[in-house]
Amino acid sequence: MDDPETIARDSNRGQYSRTAIALHWLTALLLVGSFTVGLSMVGLPVSRQKLQWYAWHKWIGITVFLVTCLRLAWRVTHAGPDPLETMPPWQRRASVLVHDTLYLLLLVIPLSGWIYSSSTGVQVVYLGLVPLPDLVPKDRELARVLLILHLTLNFALFSLVCIHTAAALKHHFIDRDSVLTRMLPP
Amino acid sequence: MRLRSFIPSLGMMLLAAGQAGAEGVLIDKSEIRFVSKQMGINVEGSFRRWKANIVFLPGDLAHSKADFDIELASIDLASDEAESEARRASWFDTAKFPVAHFVSSSIKDVGGGKYEVAGKLSVKGVTRDAVVPIVLTKDASGNSVAEGSFTIKRLDYRIGDADWADPDTVANEVVVRVRMVLPPVR
Repeated sequence: MDDPETIARDSNRGQYSRTAIALHWLTALLLVGSFTVGLSMVGLPVSRQKLQWYAWHKWIGITVFLVTCLRLAWRVTHAGPDPLETMPPWQRRASVLVHDTLYLLLLVIPLSGWIYSSSTGVQVVYLGLVPLPDLVPKDRELARVLLILHLTLNFALFSLVCIHTAAALKHHFIDRDSVLTRMLPP
Repeated sequence: MRLRSFIPSLGMMLLAAGQAGAEGVLIDKSEIRFVSKQMGINVEGSFRRWKANIVFLPGDLAHSKADFDIELASIDLASDEAESEARRASWFDTAKFPVAHFVSSSIKDVGGGKYEVAGKLSVKGVTRDAVVPIVLTKDASGNSVAEGSFTIKRLDYRIGDADWADPDTVANEVVVRVRMVLPPVR
């Protein structure tokens, strides 16, 4: 810790970049929107409103996919802060595992929704402007399986987000370290 | 239950006289699908149960004919919920009008393996003229494959009235795609 080189690196890399912070909180906002719309839309009676909500849900989902691609590209070219020295190794390993799985789910869940939509015979038109290709032909049996997959993956995402949030709060309020604050806007 | 129908009729006699032709339909290889637009998005569907009487004699179009009975309650859409909606009174009203019917009145050879099948289409108590352009090809097993698509205006047949009449929500035009596989006549 006292090594000057380490200190220099920590001061450079103690904080996430503004871009990384913005993309992180944008993702959080999109997820709240997507879950709210997704959970509400299924119970609506068949109506124009229902069609609109399904469209919004798909647009948000595709946006999550695109933002996640951007984040990964940013991450590859701009390393984030190193894990805190004070964290025990198992926590570092756990945080890497949770973060990697979160990224994976943020890519796979929108794709599972898109394939599900294709399998029900409903095209996805991003923002009402960009028609996406149908990934599979209409197939009711496949649709049933894909819907269960989409819901299960979302349940996994929800659980991981809860763990991720709980860990961040624990770091802030119990360990009183910089894990949460380095992801807050400057 | 898919039915296979044949007309032991004029067709047989003409074929006995050496005419090449086709009769009956291979139901499992054939399909009646449609694409509607909901808020600008293509939504596919089909009918699971229908029957057809088809006699196709390229050399004797006057004695060729096609008629269809389509069981409207067998509609295949994105979900059970959408299918129940489609059976309701404001859409197909399948309790009162269970079957849609098409009967050809003339079949015209327009050259290049293309034909125009003109006839009457009756849905939900409304009968209108319809012309179905088809292209005739042969598959590997020597069956004739007749493929065609035509557009109907759903509001002509009062399909989706009242709350659903607005064509911005569900477009008035619905593209119907028919693919009929006709066995060669022995």
